[in-house]
Amino acid sequence: MRRALKGFGSYEAGLLGLLVLLMIGFGLADPAFLSLGAQLDLSGPLWESLLLAVPMTLIVVTGAIDLSVGAAVSLCAVCFGLMFQSTGSVLTSGMVSLGVGVLVGTVNGLLVSLINIHSLVVTLATMALGFGIAEGASRGQPFSGFGPTLNPVAKWAVVFAFGAAVWTAVWTRRSVTGQSLYVIGLNETAAEYSGYPVKRSKVALFVVQGLMAGLVAVIYAARRGSVKSDIGQGLELDVVTAVVLGGTSVFGGRGSVWGTVLGALLVHEVRQFASWHWERNELIPLLIGGLLLISVTAGRVIDGIKTPQ
Amino acid sequence: MSRALLLASLMLLTWACTSPPSADKKEKSGKTVICLLPKKKGVPYFTSCSVGAEAASKDLGDVELRYDGPTDGSAEKAAEMIEKWTAKGVDVIAVSCNDPGALASAMRAARAKGVKVVTWDADADADTREFFVNQATPEQIGFGLVDTMAKDLGDASGEVAIVTASLTAANQNEWIKHMKIRMAKYPNLRLVAVKPSNEDQKLAFDTTRDLMGAYPNLRGVFAISSVAFPGAAEAIKQAGKSGKVLVTGLATPNDMKAFVKDGTVTSVLLWKTEDLGYLTVEVGRALAKGELKAGATEFESRRLGKVKIAGDNVLLGDPMVFTKDNIDQFDF
Repeated sequence: MRRALKGFGSYEAGLLGLLVLLMIGFGLADPAFLSLGAQLDLSGPLWESLLLAVPMTLIVVTGAIDLSVGAAVSLCAVCFGLMFQSTGSVLTSGMVSLGVGVLVGTVNGLLVSLINIHSLVVTLATMALGFGIAEGASRGQPFSGFGPTLNPVAKWAVVFAFGAAVWTAVWTRRSVTGQSLYVIGLNETAAEYSGYPVKRSKVALFVVQGLMAGLVAVIYAARRGSVKSDIGQGLELDVVTAVVLGGTSVFGGRGSVWGTVLGALLVHEVRQFASWHWERNELIPLLIGGLLLISVTAGRVIDGIKTPQ
Repeated sequence: MSRALLLASLMLLTWACTSPPSADKKEKSGKTVICLLPKKKGVPYFTSCSVGAEAASKDLGDVELRYDGPTDGSAEKAAEMIEKWTAKGVDVIAVSCNDPGALASAMRAARAKGVKVVTWDADADADTREFFVNQATPEQIGFGLVDTMAKDLGDASGEVAIVTASLTAANQNEWIKHMKIRMAKYPNLRLVAVKPSNEDQKLAFDTTRDLMGAYPNLRGVFAISSVAFPGAAEAIKQAGKSGKVLVTGLATPNDMKAFVKDGTVTSVLLWKTEDLGYLTVEVGRALAKGELKAGATEFESRRLGKVKIAGDNVLLGDPMVFTKDNIDQFDF
């Protein structure tokens, strides 16, 4: 526990304080929202966005970004559905979903590191491609009827999410490779000349991100019992907001998994409360967009304090 | 320092989460809480349904209406809303279902917790809801379209064609089936073509223009999707055949107002969306109060009088025909 908590610094403590204050505020405004039952009932999407936000943290730490997560989830989900339709096997379909995720990640990683195009552009393109293929391959039709074999996967989502977070938090602090990601983010050229495997690390990170997208697609299928090509739409906004709100610098070199966990929790609670209390769906993008702006600004201020011009 | 803060915060959080939820379960007022979920929030069609629902909740007095839905039409967000309302312990959830598969588990879970679930506008699996407030059966629409065309033509004779959504669209194919049945009543009305427009206004325009070229004696066009209708009307208008080739179909009055006023379109068919919202709220309330039970064959509506119930479908009644004389009274 102590090892895992290394890297829980003052920014993270501040975030936790903010989260607690918000929850108390939400509780005062609407006590039923805070009940354990309600929180558990509404928690489904949280584990999925956490699973995506943890690898995203590492990608952003190296100074890159993956905007195609949502599209990757959609594409994996559609492939899951198509495979299930033709084979009827949940296991095969799950494997296909993970495989497609890895494929998307590999394409992203190779384009970013070998051809050296900025990840923002590469993943913007693969995002459009992913959604397009998902929509086209499924013709916009939903897939359902996966049966009870898939059900336990949804319950395991929380274990997967926490496992991924704890393991990654320790790994980034304790391992040389984990630490090297920060070096890459601070100065990629210097990292390369110092003998760090910059390209290999980047490809690996994008592949892991893709694999997680595949896993999230399966979890979603288990939770909802139905998948459609639009399920990943807008996910990238939530995931990137969680990461940036968690204190990871969009310029690379700074960030922590614990910050991301708290960021994801904040995004989730704000989203759920807005939906719960005001019942105005159009408010939610407004709030999430606002959170993202505030956190980027806050990050800029922190960077400014640390490195005076 | 941060370690201590962490501990303190965690304790506070646990305390906050375990504090007993106040007796919010049945909400403060003792009113029946009805949640109306559209397929997509912010589109005129559903907004006008919500206006009717709002009117019903005012008239009834003992209903608290909540209208919310996904602004992007995503089924996942709709399912999340159903789960949220279930957790809040509302009385009734009325769903316009954009994906039966994705919403089924949330709707079943809501019913298991004692929430009354009905569908309106678009139905879901039969075991996920108690009643469907059905705005128009395929028979009502198919018959309505043919009857309207026959009346507008005056002598109910000549060549007519259908511009449909896509050739695989389930709704439209049902309507076409019933249109063909009804045409038997008008032996001089001859259906010469059924063409797709793939929900593309430009394609509907081209298709209608080509139909007029291929069938010089064409007297009427059924444009049976809300996208195809304005496209077809525009083609007839630009060909200078307003009034010579009639066009009718389903669309909201606002979309077609200009065409109705310049004489290109004589009649527009659609159900009264406000009445649909109104009836849905009434059905929801009656269900929650135990006044409406499975097996009923009639329902007494304040605004619509007696409406029929066929099986578990509460029927809104015949579609409304909008013409030059009444179209200005409607704004949706």
